[in-house]
Amino acid sequence: MKKLSIYIISAALLVTGCSKKLDVQPTQSVDEEFVFTSDANIKAALNGTYDVVSGASLLGGDVQMYSELLGAGDEITWVGTFNQPDEIYRKEILTNNSFISDTYLQGYRAINICNNILANINTVNPADRDRVKGQALFLRGLVYFELVELFAKPYSAGNVGTNPGLQIILTPTVNGEVTAANRVARSSVQDTYAQVVADLVAAKPIIGGEVGEYGSEYAVSAILSRVYLQMGNYAGARDEANNVIENSGAELETDYAKVFNNTSASKEDIYVLPVTAQDGSNDLQVYFSITDYGARDGDIEINEDHIDLYDASDARGALFYLDGSDIYRSGKWKFQYRFLPVVRLGEMYLTRAEANFRLGTSIGATPAQDMLAIRSRAGLGAVATNLANIRYERRLELAHEGQRIQDIKRFQESIDGFSYDANELVFPIPLREINAGGGVLTQNPGY
Amino acid sequence: MMKSTLLLLLVFLLSGSMAWAQTTTSGKITDSKSGAAISNASVIVKGTSSGTSTGQDGSFRIDIPSGGATLVISSLGYTSKEVSASGTTTNVTLDASGTKNLDEVVVVGFGTRIKKDLTGNIAKVKGSDVQNMPVTNLNQALQGRAAGVFVEANSGKVGEGVKVLIRGSGSISASNSPLYVIDGIPISNNSYSGSPISDINFNDVESFDILKDASAAAIYGSRAANGVVLITTKKGRSGKTNFQVNSQYGVNKPTHYRGFLNAPEYVALLREAAINSDNLDGIDPLDPAQYPDSWLEFAEGRLDRYSGWSDWRTNQTNTNWEKKAFDPDAMTSALDISASGGTDRTKYYLSLSYLNQDGILIGNRLKRLSSRINLEQAVSDKFKIGLNMSLSQTSAGRVQVDNEFATPMQIVALSPVTPFYDQDGNLSTLPVTTYNNPYIDYAEGKFKAVIYRNIGNIFGQYNFSRSLSFRTEFGVDIQNQNDDQFYGPNTTYGTGSNGYGESDWFRGLTYNTNNYFTFKKNFSQKHDLEAVAGMSFQDYNSEFANVYGEQFPNQQLQKLASAGLIKGGTSRESNSTFLSYFARANYKFNNRYLVTLSGRVDGSSVFGNDNRYGFFPAASLGWIVSEENFMQGQKLLSFLKLRGSWGLTGNADGFGDFASRGLWGGVAYNGTGGLASTQLANPDLKWEKSNQLDFGIDFGFFNNRISGEIDVYKRKTEDLIYSVPVPGNTGYSNKLVNLGAMENKGLEIVLNSDNVSTRNFKWSSNLNLAFNKNKITKLDGDQTLIAGNDGRYLNSLIVGESIGVFYGPKFAGADPANGDALYYLQDGKTTTNDYNAAGNFIVGNPNPKLIAGFGNSFSYKGFELNVLFQGVFGNQIQNGAGGFMSASFDWFDNQTRDQLDRWQKPGDITQVPQLRLGGGNGISASSRYVEDGDYVRLKSVTLAYNFPASLIRRAKLTSAKFYVTGVNLLTFTDYKGWDPEVNTDYRAGNRNQGSDFYAAPQIKNFSVGLNLGF
Repeated sequence: MKKLSIYIISAALLVTGCSKKLDVQPTQSVDEEFVFTSDANIKAALNGTYDVVSGASLLGGDVQMYSELLGAGDEITWVGTFNQPDEIYRKEILTNNSFISDTYLQGYRAINICNNILANINTVNPADRDRVKGQALFLRGLVYFELVELFAKPYSAGNVGTNPGLQIILTPTVNGEVTAANRVARSSVQDTYAQVVADLVAAKPIIGGEVGEYGSEYAVSAILSRVYLQMGNYAGARDEANNVIENSGAELETDYAKVFNNTSASKEDIYVLPVTAQDGSNDLQVYFSITDYGARDGDIEINEDHIDLYDASDARGALFYLDGSDIYRSGKWKFQYRFLPVVRLGEMYLTRAEANFRLGTSIGATPAQDMLAIRSRAGLGAVATNLANIRYERRLELAHEGQRIQDIKRFQESIDGFSYDANELVFPIPLREINAGGGVLTQNPGY
Repeated sequence: MMKSTLLLLLVFLLSGSMAWAQTTTSGKITDSKSGAAISNASVIVKGTSSGTSTGQDGSFRIDIPSGGATLVISSLGYTSKEVSASGTTTNVTLDASGTKNLDEVVVVGFGTRIKKDLTGNIAKVKGSDVQNMPVTNLNQALQGRAAGVFVEANSGKVGEGVKVLIRGSGSISASNSPLYVIDGIPISNNSYSGSPISDINFNDVESFDILKDASAAAIYGSRAANGVVLITTKKGRSGKTNFQVNSQYGVNKPTHYRGFLNAPEYVALLREAAINSDNLDGIDPLDPAQYPDSWLEFAEGRLDRYSGWSDWRTNQTNTNWEKKAFDPDAMTSALDISASGGTDRTKYYLSLSYLNQDGILIGNRLKRLSSRINLEQAVSDKFKIGLNMSLSQTSAGRVQVDNEFATPMQIVALSPVTPFYDQDGNLSTLPVTTYNNPYIDYAEGKFKAVIYRNIGNIFGQYNFSRSLSFRTEFGVDIQNQNDDQFYGPNTTYGTGSNGYGESDWFRGLTYNTNNYFTFKKNFSQKHDLEAVAGMSFQDYNSEFANVYGEQFPNQQLQKLASAGLIKGGTSRESNSTFLSYFARANYKFNNRYLVTLSGRVDGSSVFGNDNRYGFFPAASLGWIVSEENFMQGQKLLSFLKLRGSWGLTGNADGFGDFASRGLWGGVAYNGTGGLASTQLANPDLKWEKSNQLDFGIDFGFFNNRISGEIDVYKRKTEDLIYSVPVPGNTGYSNKLVNLGAMENKGLEIVLNSDNVSTRNFKWSSNLNLAFNKNKITKLDGDQTLIAGNDGRYLNSLIVGESIGVFYGPKFAGADPANGDALYYLQDGKTTTNDYNAAGNFIVGNPNPKLIAGFGNSFSYKGFELNVLFQGVFGNQIQNGAGGFMSASFDWFDNQTRDQLDRWQKPGDITQVPQLRLGGGNGISASSRYVEDGDYVRLKSVTLAYNFPASLIRRAKLTSAKFYVTGVNLLTFTDYKGWDPEVNTDYRAGNRNQGSDFYAAPQIKNFSVGLNLGF
């Protein structure tokens, strides 16, 4: 009898249902189905999109650095050991450049999150729905704009109806399915810009909010002014810039140095990325600054050729500093954990000045007044109002802020021996995308 | 689950109180020829698990049922014998068999087998063969000793990763590491830093049994696709307590110095490179008018900077930075003490061990203090309980991974014109040094890991009858690890932030229970049946937390309590479970026909509901031909067995706990939490499955003086889990899918031979050879090629080729006309200087074609000499740092000496393109940096002297041995890097093999030791 009970107990032990033990839930992640079931989660996903967009591969510094490296001329030199930025600096870019593919991937990652938010927008509380939708549209438009500037020929190169732009994806990826929507051909440059404009224009009236770390009507206007400048739509650029200057509540800092190295948004910031010791990235600081300030090894040096551009009394020139080896360094990106302005009011004055000048109008102010506002802040007097001077002022005022190659391209200048529309000034579509693209994704000319 | 186990134990305890009538017999086991006592012979009461072993004098004492019993007597090197025992005295003589291996007991999963009766392929390495080998990781001790077991330490860093591949790579994305099982309990192969296998003191190990073919391994089902290493620790034997003390001391050196340019060479070549770059720009920098803004001015400016207080023009400084990466006083010391013994009912083994091994790199060391208690108690004739428990503390000084500026080996990049100290006696630092000086990271930083590990199990075994028993085991593996890092204000990580500190905590908890029945019966003399059936459950949980900060007030206050700024921290958890049911039957007919069938059902939490369970069957057959009548009467072939096996095993390890799900993770923006996509879902994800077919012959000639095994196998892994690139416009880069397939085909040969066996002089040899060919047979179905050229490495996945082959441009040397680096176009004939236009070729294979081990043991009177050579053949290595250190002076990194052969003038034929500062002349990944990695190494050599018995007795000892031993004393290779046994740690993986990147050479050790028994 005892023996029998042992048999039974032993046997029971073997088949005891442990199968429930196989139901293990993740603790650091949630399933995707769960994300879009509540108002709070969608808002968290929106905040997550801001995080992705502020990542180092996107506006957390790399995108701006690409612009400066492509437009380096003799003014800056890449001396770091990383070959990916070096390829960009030398305009000898390999299609497997990992910085570039990271930027591409992170860009579409942000776009996909936006698409998910927009597809589930009705789950958001009605009171907040427009604001959330506006934010998602703003971020999607912004990212498409940054990508099209890097991966396609500039608008100024013409043939906008035929030059390839980006693959435009407006539907979310769900259940791990790669669909036909992901296997579309690249839209034209024109159509890509049209999508950017459509998103931003749709966002503008509903986004609300104030200037600062998140998108607002004025952040939308400021980005739109850049888009229109690229497109040569000066009236649009002027009106958007004017809207920012007149209505955003932002004002020029009296001291140029106060625009940078801040631990909170400055008075001048329209859209600024928060960077603290705990969170955020500022790759401009990482590569422009030196190890003394917690950066890498001073990978980007500022040359005399650039310093010589400044008048001796120019506060903007005074911001540069010499390191221990007597090499000039950008004072804008000196310290670690400082906020990174994406777009600021100073640029709006110059945009309004340029657009008004080109159109012969004086919406908001005359070009001379706008120029003086910028120059006097730098401790300089007036100069003749002409396109060359406005162009020159942009070069100094926005130096090393990531607008260099865009301005070169739209002014149809050449740089380092390359014409503004040269193949070498356009990034290759990353090799991994060509390989994974199922044959529909065309490579850029020259690669 | 737990409750029922306890209940069961209770029932066992109650039943154990029942008494059984029994008597005791004792006797002595002796050699039939010489009459010498045979110690350590095993004496087992047939049909039970009760047994003992003989003492030093060959005597034993054992309880037997009062009605009498059959005793099975066996000892290594003797033919086993069964004798019936009924009286009080049972003396037995054994005949020397010469069969050595054949009667050896081999541990299989959930049981043991006699080697002769095996139908699968299991390689056995005795613990005594690797005893006291001065390495920290047991895998390194096994290197070269088992056929088809490839062992490769990533580098000479102690306590770090060691790759083990049994019969080649079986997977692209999942784990390729075997399952480690200690005394029946699978252990964790995860850790936060370092190799978790380094926590194990292998001096406690009785045997390693490596299950290689699917039939042997299939009882571990889904865990076994990469083979299983069964580790059995030493157990006590009844008899007087035997103490063993071993003390050892040795010195450690690198196997090889690579050699870099000295200061005059550095200056000369750097200036030449700058002038070349100027000339290409149409500038003559030697003309003072053209000197300003020239490359030469730039280079000489850098020379001024790098030479600090000294003058490079007069060669005032000539620093050999390579030597500075190594600790000149690195040593190893070890002390092991063990005690074992027991009574008829209680057996124990206790040990305490201390190992202190300095790595050869500055700042790298490992100290391990470990103890073990193995205890077994026969509660009654039917019931025994026991415990195998080890506790260890590993304390390691770690160095950064190979691609960090702070890792010691990157010191070689610094310029020889840079003085080691400045004029104030401080270490040179930026901007005098070219890069961060790793010596400062060593001198003013620390990286210490402390790991407490407790691996143990308790078991109970109940014998219902002579035929049927039940065993339950409950095991734990607790890992508790803390990594503490501090880097002062002058170090790589502390610069600009007044010091950097980090504290990481990791806890791994594996618990496992096995419960199984064993049935053994012999029917009418001819039929032997053994069957096992049971279940096991495993739960693995790990938790991790860290915090890091900056702004320390000084160098002394290194804990985060003193950090002025806490930068961040995190905590994470991961969890996975396995539930398994298994069964196996071994059947032997007429002592010559063997059949084994096994099956296992595994459930894993890693997969979605629909794909959770997998069934893993195996079957094998054996025929002991030499037992047949027609084989009798001949003397040549003393043993012959044919065997064949097939089995299916699975793999679910190594790609995350929730691989099938679409996941979103927490992120932060502007101080507010957010959610962002992290993983693309694949609800269809399921087990990788590995099919293996093995045919083998075991043979013995001349009364088994020459014996061996030959195996051929084919292992096909299907449904390979592979992370397929998806269009980035999905918002994701990759998706895990079951699409790929891979096969490994191979041939293994093992030969053992007693070359000389006289009274005083013995010489035996052992050779193992393993040929393996790995081939990817399918990737995602669409792609046949996933090129891996990232500018630095070329490891690619190509259908029809081995995993991780080097695929990229083929270097054609320097253009004799102008010194440009040339590459072949895709036609393989025409050359180009445009890297982007170069064709792509398979320019190397990191997988060895052949691995081999060759051991020889000699003994003469009291002397013993053991020599083991180990070799790896047919593989290539790529130096990923070639673009920095052998780069035609592309930048200021010091260059390897081969750059002296650079192109200098038209007509020069050389493999080193013209030196060009900032010129990128041939520095991207290509065959330029691929070399043959074949090597043969004197892996270990030990010369021991056993003091004569008379002397030992006078000293009241049972044994005394003095020995000298060396590890990696000689390496024969054409590889020009530091060491051909290399795979840089920061990227080591299934695909990323055979790459060198400032990886430390292996450790060459020379030790002396003394071993006493009493």
